[in-house]
Amino acid sequence: MSDDLEGRLRGLWLLAQSGDEVAYRSALALAAARLRGYFLRRMRTQPDDVEDLVQETLLTIHLQRATYDPALPLTAWLHAIARHKFIDFLRRHGRSGALHDSIDDVDETLLPVVEHDLTARRDIGKLLDRLPAEQRQAILDTKIEGLSVAESAARSGASESAVKVRVHRGLQRLTAWLRSEA
Amino acid sequence: MKTQELVELLARRAGPVAPRFVQRRLAGAAFAGLVVATIVVIAGPGVNPQLGAMGAPLIQKLAYIGALALAAGWLTDRASRPGVPSAAAAASVLGVVLAMAGLSLVTLISAPAGQASSLLLGSSWSTCPWGVAFLSLPTLGLLLWAIRTLAPSSGRVAGFAAGLLAGAVGALAYSLYCTETSPAFVLVWYSSGALLSALAGAAIGSRLLTW
Repeated sequence: MSDDLEGRLRGLWLLAQSGDEVAYRSALALAAARLRGYFLRRMRTQPDDVEDLVQETLLTIHLQRATYDPALPLTAWLHAIARHKFIDFLRRHGRSGALHDSIDDVDETLLPVVEHDLTARRDIGKLLDRLPAEQRQAILDTKIEGLSVAESAARSGASESAVKVRVHRGLQRLTAWLRSEA
Repeated sequence: MKTQELVELLARRAGPVAPRFVQRRLAGAAFAGLVVATIVVIAGPGVNPQLGAMGAPLIQKLAYIGALALAAGWLTDRASRPGVPSAAAAASVLGVVLAMAGLSLVTLISAPAGQASSLLLGSSWSTCPWGVAFLSLPTLGLLLWAIRTLAPSSGRVAGFAAGLLAGAVGALAYSLYCTETSPAFVLVWYSSGALLSALAGAAIGSRLLTW
């Protein structure tokens, strides 16, 4: 698949940064497909782990989206996070021997964009249930039910900024769990 | 949960990204650290009563520290983000130090014979670096805490940069107390204090700044 990921993704991403939810969903879906290709290419021997790593990386991308500098290429930022997650994965699993390609020598523009979901082994939905009640509720309200932050705040009696913090902390905790249980 | 469901969860009600989020977070930490260090100076050894009468040497000193803080702050910002090159920012730090080295050299060369060592050592060379490093500690802690929520490509580099910025903040607070006026003194001993802080930052950062 010839690549204009930078062109397609960056425009969507900048819209998403300014609060466009539809653009953000498309951007994350595109990023997920690229990440799947990125990890598949590097871990052919353990494809079971690919989707887990895609999901963990998506969570990190979301939590870290403020660290993207709009003056720089988006794919460089995305690949740096993917690379960091991949190396972290190898380190955690002591599987550096399974690495049959150099991490950096791939022309990313030639990578497949893999659209179909593989099966993740860990279920983030189940992990959600284990979050502290306030964080779980804030995530359920805003991210599953789609209430506005103001509505969720009114429902829980917390301030809007407290709701935002709970959502962020909850997602951080999920990411940490994914990382420790992998 | 399927990945597509996760994508939808993450996007829903995601809201906009606060502009200049990283810069503001780092600047907030540095400023809070400066306030703490300034209070420590005022409550502890006290402000140099002749500070207002120091004139040009004070301005040179503050210009160096300010430029070092800006360059180190830029480097910290670059190093706290994944996949962002930091060579230009690192070069700017070097440029600031070299500029001060040029000024120091001029004053050393143009000084009367026999004065060079007092220009270099002043009367407080043995305490200055420790004072600067000590006063950088609150800022270093706050900056590392802030960067822990970001995503540095290298914990060691980000920790070094944060330590350098904290060192410049510590130097600024120390300059309230310090009576030295020679650029060579400031270059060598203030920078040594900032370097101590940077090395501490690198050592801590390589362990702490993982994500």
